[in-house]
Amino acid sequence: MSNSKFTIEINGKEYNAVEGQRILEVARAEEVFVPGVCYHPDLGTIQTCDTCYVMVDGQLTRSCTMKVAPGMKIDTVSDQVKKAQYEAMSRILKNHELYCTVCDNNNGNCTIHNTVEDMGLAHQKYPFEAKPYPPDNSHPFYRYEPDQCILCGRCVEACQDLQVNETLTIDWSREVPRVIWDNDVPIDQSSCVSCGHCVNVCPCNALMEKSMLGNAGFLTGIAPNILAPMIDMTKEVEPGYREIFAVSEVEAAMRKARIKRTKTVCTYCGVGCSFEVWTKDREILKIQTKTEAPVNGISTCVKGKFGWDYVNSEERLTKPLIRKGEEFVEATWDEALSLIAENLSKIKEEHGPDAIGYIASSKCSNEENFLFQKFARGIMGTNNVDNCSRYCQSPATTGLMRTVGLGGDSGTMEDIMASDLVIVVGANPAESHPVLATRIKRAHKLHGQKLVVVDLRENELAERADLFLHPKPGTDIIMLNAIAKYFLDQGWEDASFLQERVNGLEEYKSSLKKFSLEYAVEKTGLTMEQLLRLVKMIKEAKSVSILWAMGVTQHMGASDTSTAISNLLLVTGNYGRTGTGAYPLRGHNNVQGACDFGTLPPWMPGYEPVNDETVRAKYKAAWGVDLPENPGYDNHHMVEAISKGKMKALYLFGEDMAIVDANSNYVHSTFEKLDFFVVQDMFFSKTAQFADVVLPAAPSLEKDGTFTNTERRIQRFYKVFEPLGDSKPDWLIFQELANRLGADWNYQHPSEIMDEAAKLANLFAGVSYQRLEEWESLVWPVKADGTDTPLLYTEKFAFPDGKARLVPVDWTIPFDPGADFDLHLNNGRILEHFHEGNMTNKTEGIVHKVPDVWLEISPELAAERSLEDGALVGLTSPYGHVEVRVIVTDRVKGHELYLPMNTADDNEAVNRLTSSYHDIITHTPAYKEMGVKMVVLELSGVPPLPKHNHRYGNRIPQISVKVEEKWQRSDYTPISEIDDLKEGFYGESDQAN
Amino acid sequence: MAKAIRLISRQVRNETEERAQAAEEILKSLADNKDAVLSMIEMAKELHEMKVFETAGALLKQRNEVGVIAMQQVNQPAVHNVIKSGFGLFQFLGGLQPAQLETLLNGVTLGLKRMSQTGEQGKKQSLWKMRIRLRSPAIRAAMTTMVDFMEGMGEAFLRSREKRE
Repeated sequence: MSNSKFTIEINGKEYNAVEGQRILEVARAEEVFVPGVCYHPDLGTIQTCDTCYVMVDGQLTRSCTMKVAPGMKIDTVSDQVKKAQYEAMSRILKNHELYCTVCDNNNGNCTIHNTVEDMGLAHQKYPFEAKPYPPDNSHPFYRYEPDQCILCGRCVEACQDLQVNETLTIDWSREVPRVIWDNDVPIDQSSCVSCGHCVNVCPCNALMEKSMLGNAGFLTGIAPNILAPMIDMTKEVEPGYREIFAVSEVEAAMRKARIKRTKTVCTYCGVGCSFEVWTKDREILKIQTKTEAPVNGISTCVKGKFGWDYVNSEERLTKPLIRKGEEFVEATWDEALSLIAENLSKIKEEHGPDAIGYIASSKCSNEENFLFQKFARGIMGTNNVDNCSRYCQSPATTGLMRTVGLGGDSGTMEDIMASDLVIVVGANPAESHPVLATRIKRAHKLHGQKLVVVDLRENELAERADLFLHPKPGTDIIMLNAIAKYFLDQGWEDASFLQERVNGLEEYKSSLKKFSLEYAVEKTGLTMEQLLRLVKMIKEAKSVSILWAMGVTQHMGASDTSTAISNLLLVTGNYGRTGTGAYPLRGHNNVQGACDFGTLPPWMPGYEPVNDETVRAKYKAAWGVDLPENPGYDNHHMVEAISKGKMKALYLFGEDMAIVDANSNYVHSTFEKLDFFVVQDMFFSKTAQFADVVLPAAPSLEKDGTFTNTERRIQRFYKVFEPLGDSKPDWLIFQELANRLGADWNYQHPSEIMDEAAKLANLFAGVSYQRLEEWESLVWPVKADGTDTPLLYTEKFAFPDGKARLVPVDWTIPFDPGADFDLHLNNGRILEHFHEGNMTNKTEGIVHKVPDVWLEISPELAAERSLEDGALVGLTSPYGHVEVRVIVTDRVKGHELYLPMNTADDNEAVNRLTSSYHDIITHTPAYKEMGVKMVVLELSGVPPLPKHNHRYGNRIPQISVKVEEKWQRSDYTPISEIDDLKEGFYGESDQAN
Repeated sequence: MAKAIRLISRQVRNETEERAQAAEEILKSLADNKDAVLSMIEMAKELHEMKVFETAGALLKQRNEVGVIAMQQVNQPAVHNVIKSGFGLFQFLGGLQPAQLETLLNGVTLGLKRMSQTGEQGKKQSLWKMRIRLRSPAIRAAMTTMVDFMEGMGEAFLRSREKRE
């Protein structure tokens, strides 16, 4: 599409427009009022509301469909136009009772209210008619009130084509149409994934968060038997809407005094959704999305939209705890910090600074991670500082740093959306990165994007994929290398790209000798036909993005497989252009940022090596201390060092290592060996049970800071509440402790910490809180002038000579516990709960949807062992034993099992079974390489997954809302054919072109 | 050597301590706002004597039932009419031009003054004399205005009839 600019005339005045824009878009950009209820910038044209009619060169036309053309003359104010708009709005108000003052949606942002008001409507042409359906209150988080529903179809559009869950439709065939879920079942029993898209886009109060109902307004809590006659009476006596709106506006303005709206960034996965959180005192009323949000717009998932109850949970730690004998005793901050300072000093003095390990949190902010590594290095004198990327993404970072130079996604969501071909290897974004997955699903459904999924499990993206490949566990690298070799053998590589921009081709070529397609067929179990089909798809695609996650990185050969992905992208020339690149999907909200800001043993902030003297000199000048020279221990080293008695103390924050580290039996026994253990958390976690001192920390809603998402995008979040009880923000705790250990820190606000980091780390030179106000964001590297870099490597790669490197990598045979352990154990997250669930299990509605953990077994295995849903089995690996109830599903095949990690119960947690084997380069545990044997404990029982879970729903895929069916109804008269407009001929204009 | 433990001994403050602290906070607030509190008590005494609290308390306790009754009473055609007439009157006043109204009211004031003088003096005038006075510009101006007024009113009546038909 060209972007040529020209002018158009609206009401006799000239306005600038760009080719491809629609009239309504130009009008809105120029602040010329044209009504429009169904149109939404994130959804586009829906054509159901008919309120946006304007006159274009003498013809009445929907301004949301008609594209602008040079010299076009548009009239938005004539009598004919007003009549058409009035007719359309009256049809809407026939479906929607205006009782704004007593409506919970009267918060200044109700599309219907504002449109009626802006149109200056005094009365409606047709009286309101209730629909013959009761409200649907079955879902735990939102309700549908048909009587208020104007059938604009925004919710359907959002569900079908933006979230692409395909649950909602409008049934235009019944006498009184309504929105239905699946095949018209109660919402709670449908395929609804509770993402909140439909509620987020509803232009009125038909779909509303239950947390708002009766709660948002001053008068909305009135009992229905008073409210109904009040509404009747108001309607009876009202002279016109203007006077009524005056009252409702006053009420809406009053609400602003008590409902606080604060921008925040989601604290679950690495996608980095941002939105407002609306609160009344400490009560969270709702999450309100904004089109301005750079990553997600109006999109959310169940956790980001509804999973915030943990903040006010009664289980929150509110006082420091000190171990005394067999119990923890509440203490003051002074006692706790003194005890920590005393013990850490003593251990440092007796055993040296490296006898203490520091484990940082990828749930906490960039500023907190920066300060923690400053504390470990600058105050305590050790590089023994690591974060939980060690459990997930370090191999991906290594693969990228080896080949292209920077350990982050090559582009942004824009690139993933723009890609011709998206290949997802060992990742389940539809559950683990839901909003990112929506963009892939949308591009695939609407814009012809091709999708390949390589996975053991047939997850949602796999179901939708053009090609789903199921290789044998741990053999992805063979497939990747074989394809790269085939491209080179056939002469299909991007030769000029390799010539100009890449080093190491010859050595790489010779390393591929054994990786013929035949070898790949033999080792991966894929067919030649499948491999050739994948080759063909890559060859035909103008741009390829490869996305991967734990299915790649939690293996013994993880760094090498990540490298192989990047190699393949280099061979095919898929870097540095829109729609191309490598996308390791970061799991936590701030995995990227924790690594970026220096909580890694070999790296100072911005990936500047600690063993580089000039780097250390820079920090010495700033901090006034000598920094330790040698890279420190990573998490895995630390556990080993504790086990060997070399490490005596550990300080850990925002991380439940006792559950998330592999081989937890071993980790637990190691913790028991520590002389001193400090755990800082919001909750009394499993890890905290081993601590000597537990410090109560504050979550993101109780502090300011920034997170960096998987795109490398830095975004600000703002404090909503004061910290609960005596809990404190992590950065403040570090500062208070550092000052007891001789520091003289005086940070008043996290922005000052960011200023310091930006001054020191080249990668963030131009980052400041001023540049990150509200919805602004920066994608690193950020130059001093504030220029950021959404797409990397457009001109050069991040090596001194600007060239990428092809790095030879070989297959590492996965860990095999032996023939006794005959079932392969896969594991991972699920949509509803985050990780082991310590945050999400505080939300009743989420627990209603997923109360328990379950084991997925294939229909073949179920038949073989005579198992059915609900049967209880015991799984035993060489390292431990768990007992879980099964669900039979064809998402898993043959002898492969899937055990989600949403449990903190010792007897169910998957890490009771995993080993201490790890990626040979980064020490990331090989969680995905385990075999187990199964014994049946109970042949039947209550299925662990309730039938009202979305996995049992029945999706109804369609494109948009099928407005044509509305137009074909016998009771539908096109606006241009109504009596008031009949005199002239204005033409039928449902289609713009 | 630290085994995992789950036992937390929380310093649960007993009821007496909590009450003591609450009482202390209340006393402090009272002392800080002595004058305001004393005048409030004075006012409360008067209100109590008038049984305001008793009445309001009963109303509040039964607010739902009372609300229903109130709405039943209020949601009646007569009340609708009062409110609608209220709106109508408001619109009528809003529609008037202040300058016109001023002229009109000046006229009415002066007219009333003359009228009262006539009333006080009680002197009747002959028809002839009155006929001669009809010629005066002042009377003619008033008559023309009255006819115009009637014409306007008639027009509104007719429009309203048309609308009904």
